[in-house]
Amino acid sequence: MTRPKTSFRLTLLAAAFAAATAVLPGLAGAAAQPKHGGTLVIGTTQVPRHLNGAVQSGVATAMPSTQLFASPLRFDDMWQPHPYLAQSWELAPDGKSLTLHLRHDALFHDGQPVTSADVAFSIMTIKKYHPFKTMFGVVEAVDTPDKYTAVIRMSAPHPAILLAMSPALCPIMPEHVYGKAENIANTPLNSTGVVGSGPFELAEFKPGQHVILKRFDKFFLPGRPYLDKLVIEINPNETNLVIEAERGQIQVLPFVTNPRDLQRLAKDKNLTITDKGYEGIGPLDWLAFNTARKPLDDVRVRKAIAYAIDKNFIVKVLFGGFARIDDGPIVPTSPLADPNVHRYPLDLKKADALLDAAGHPRGAGGERFKLTIDYIPGADDLQKNIAEYVRSQLKKVGIAVEVRAAPDFPTWAKRIAAHNFDLTMDVVFNWGDPVIGVARTYLSTNIRNIIWTNTQSYRNLEVDKLLEEAGTELDPLKRKALYGTFEKIVTDELPIDWLIVVPYHTVYSNKVANLPTNIWGVMSPLDEVYLK
Amino acid sequence: MNGLATELRIEHPVREALRMYLRNPAAVAGAVLLGLIVMVAVFGPMLYDADPFAIMALPLSPPLSPETPLGTDYLGRDILTELIYGGRATLAVGATAALLSLLIGVTVGALAGYFGGAVDEALTRVTEFFQVLPALLFAMVLVTLFSPTLPTIAFAIGMSTWTSTARLARAEFLKLKQLEFVTAERAIGAGDMRIVWKVILPNALPPLVVSGTLSVGAAILFAAGLAFLGLGDPNTMSWGLMIGSSREYILTSWWAVTFPGIVIFVTVLSVTLVGDGLSDALNPKLRER
Amino acid sequence: MTLRFLLRRLAYAAALVLAVVALNFVLIHLAPGDPVETIAGSMGGMTEALRETLRHEYGLDRPLPVQLWIYLDRMLHGDLGESYFFNAPVSALILERVPATLLLVTTAVLAAFLGGTFLGVLASRKPNGPLSQSITVLSVVGYAAPVFWTGIMLIIVLASLVPVFPVSGMRGDLASGTGLAGMLDVAYHLVLPAATLGIVYLAFYSRLTRASMLDVLGADYIRTARAKGASEATVYYRHALRNAMLPVITVLGLQFGNVLAGAILVETVFNWPGLGRLAFDSVLRRDYPTILGVLLFSSLLVVVMNQATDFCYRLIDPRIKTG
Repeated sequence: MTRPKTSFRLTLLAAAFAAATAVLPGLAGAAAQPKHGGTLVIGTTQVPRHLNGAVQSGVATAMPSTQLFASPLRFDDMWQPHPYLAQSWELAPDGKSLTLHLRHDALFHDGQPVTSADVAFSIMTIKKYHPFKTMFGVVEAVDTPDKYTAVIRMSAPHPAILLAMSPALCPIMPEHVYGKAENIANTPLNSTGVVGSGPFELAEFKPGQHVILKRFDKFFLPGRPYLDKLVIEINPNETNLVIEAERGQIQVLPFVTNPRDLQRLAKDKNLTITDKGYEGIGPLDWLAFNTARKPLDDVRVRKAIAYAIDKNFIVKVLFGGFARIDDGPIVPTSPLADPNVHRYPLDLKKADALLDAAGHPRGAGGERFKLTIDYIPGADDLQKNIAEYVRSQLKKVGIAVEVRAAPDFPTWAKRIAAHNFDLTMDVVFNWGDPVIGVARTYLSTNIRNIIWTNTQSYRNLEVDKLLEEAGTELDPLKRKALYGTFEKIVTDELPIDWLIVVPYHTVYSNKVANLPTNIWGVMSPLDEVYLK
Repeated sequence: MNGLATELRIEHPVREALRMYLRNPAAVAGAVLLGLIVMVAVFGPMLYDADPFAIMALPLSPPLSPETPLGTDYLGRDILTELIYGGRATLAVGATAALLSLLIGVTVGALAGYFGGAVDEALTRVTEFFQVLPALLFAMVLVTLFSPTLPTIAFAIGMSTWTSTARLARAEFLKLKQLEFVTAERAIGAGDMRIVWKVILPNALPPLVVSGTLSVGAAILFAAGLAFLGLGDPNTMSWGLMIGSSREYILTSWWAVTFPGIVIFVTVLSVTLVGDGLSDALNPKLRER
Repeated sequence: MTLRFLLRRLAYAAALVLAVVALNFVLIHLAPGDPVETIAGSMGGMTEALRETLRHEYGLDRPLPVQLWIYLDRMLHGDLGESYFFNAPVSALILERVPATLLLVTTAVLAAFLGGTFLGVLASRKPNGPLSQSITVLSVVGYAAPVFWTGIMLIIVLASLVPVFPVSGMRGDLASGTGLAGMLDVAYHLVLPAATLGIVYLAFYSRLTRASMLDVLGADYIRTARAKGASEATVYYRHALRNAMLPVITVLGLQFGNVLAGAILVETVFNWPGLGRLAFDSVLRRDYPTILGVLLFSSLLVVVMNQATDFCYRLIDPRIKTG
């Protein structure tokens, strides 16, 4: 593989993202001979709307989409990019253009070659439909000087442009197929007759039930994929999937968070559990404050609440030790996370003192004031259980909390989008780089009536400046410093009480070899996976 | 009451029914059981002062642990306390929903059966309309619309289940209004309301009472079903809520789901046995055997 | 039974279904949140531009009566629209799932009907005797346990502790088609869900049959038959049962129409790919076209079954006056 031609700064960039040697998972397993053939069954509780990740972001679609569609680059577990559809690439010194040199031998499932026109079409489509403006926001156009060269031109340097070339974020669609669709966002081609250039072709998709993929014989990496068939079984009951995993009917079960299930599966000698593979999405579970409402507009009240919550209890007792604490907006596994943030270990006395100082004395019955807490329904261990724990803790410091159940997601989403809440639990993803998934929560320009924006109404102009600067800074050391300052400020002003990293785990049978544990986990091509 | 024919009244009806009822071991067992459950549900919280929402011990501790005889749930709350406190809400929702269902059903059915003609046509259409709606889906939509609190849930269940009572009431009223003593009452100039209230309703009561009793059991199951689907009221402890919340832990911690399941089962069982017993006791045909 | 009568019935039935769909259209649109929120949830976020595009595409930016009109107009032309969540035609989604639900419910109801009737007749022989009492209690037991609880227990015992039956789903080997192997596979997966649903119906039918038999046994013609010297068996099976079956069959017909409600919980527990599950998920996702499509189908089914049952009842029992 050709080493990317980079400037010194970019070498630092790579180094900042990784320790020295990046060894592709596949190479490590090269000692054992991969066996060809077989069917792998993956169980999931997530329901994909369709299979085209270019117009539908999110984890549910990513898993099948990364099998069907290839992308310019792929990443390993050290955040290092590797060639995929692009055999080499250059980032211009000023950071405003990324040149991709595509392989000449990649074919789509219909036999047509993958060309730069397809790359241009795909990137501009993703830009149009992606819910995060920051992912391709600065992309102005994609030039195609020749059939196998694509130049992404940006209006400002984009430190995460390479990451944005990941399989989960940048599926390359054939323009001659999807360019003809009347409305690409809801064309039937996203569910049937899907054409990509990934290692697997679509055999059958039954919405809400399963996805069956079969080996693409003309995949551009010779000999791969090793598997003949890949089945994604969709079952919203995690319990059923756990039993099926124990019985060997499912070989891979990602996104498991239930600590009891994990404890049980950990005892099974035929199964392995790993928490690797989720660093890319960087999922955080937190308690958000509506700082536009009294009494939460007072930072002392927010800090008091933070002091009243014992994150250790949540980790050790509620999650049986399977989770890890998170104290700031950037997930600790990110190279840009700063450990020197303000922390709020359990201290009920301090909480009481702060509430008194904030002018909320205890009334009759020991109550100071009332608050409501919302949570996302359907993810009980991550949301409802913690909300109920919060209720019982805050009662101890005189805050009466009412847990407001939403019967389904749209009800919750509507409330939060309308800023109709006091406290709410939430799960939000970093999406690899803070510029993609972190800034949106804290920018005062992003206070909107949509979920997963700055629904906390947090305003700090210095924070805005820091985030904007860090969003276009290419020097990794400078970026880290900027984000460090940002984290210190934000953990002092507490628009959010960050609790834990969502403890996603992948459970897999010992018969499965080479399951990807890169930063994107199972949301990357499974071309190197084989059954022993 | 002079105008009443004697064929339906030999001994005082209530005493006779009671006697028949007490002859039926299953019915008696049901009544005793139900009585016990109601007592615990109503008086338990007063005698056993604890907070069902308080975290007592480690989550999902098995039964027969020191402070928690029946174990704890997913948050570490004592299951026994939850069961004792959960009775009120569960029974209240069941009774309210059944009452609502009964009220609407009897009103609609009685009016339809008694007045006949256009009124009957119209009301039967309305009944059919509600019968065509799938009950659980309709209740779901209502609960989603109005947010899941106990009154909403009781209302939703009542609105989804009154049609069978209406049919029953209509059939009874149709049958009864043909009888002689009604004609007699009319002959002496009694008004419609008097006839309905004082004459027909008391005679139509037995099957309606049975139906009402049984529908309490059905309402409790319905509410448990809603809670299982995630539509329970999370701020009030109820047995359905216990099952719904602990559903994900069933594999490793069967007690969190099994105990409330057993309690619901026993409650519905006893209510149904009572309803069956009443049905047999009030069934005139059986008296002749 | 004139043609005019039948046509009137037909028109009435159509109007009824239309009214049901219209009411539910309004109710569901009033529920907080809309499909765009669901889509935002699935994507991990949403931009304002995208939200406006989607709302416009789904017609959500128009007043409710207009939306209702458009929907009804399309429906009457046979177009049920596309699922907002899956972007697939609603009719295809429904047709794909109908067989699974019909299979589940038919199996459960038939088994329950046959078994329940048998038990109910047995129980009616000596209503206060020990056999009758035990059957009564047992049938109440089946009825009183929450159906989802029974399902979960069956899974634990027969699919986890002792792995005899499959845990969930309708097919194990997803490639097996409609050949014999495929059918056996489905039958194997059908056992636990059908048993769970069947237990409830079994209890119900046995109770109903018992009550109906007792009701009939007190009638004059029974006494006449006995007085004429007919054997107990003849009295029971020839006279009493045939007449007692009338209300039971009525209920069977009516209940069969209400397929959806019974199936939702069982389909949820067993992840059975049926209509009930689709309806439930669609409500949670505010997938209006799919919900309404399922309701339309369910209402049609209920109305058809109601009319059929009514028709049969009139045929069998000439005592009922029409009107």
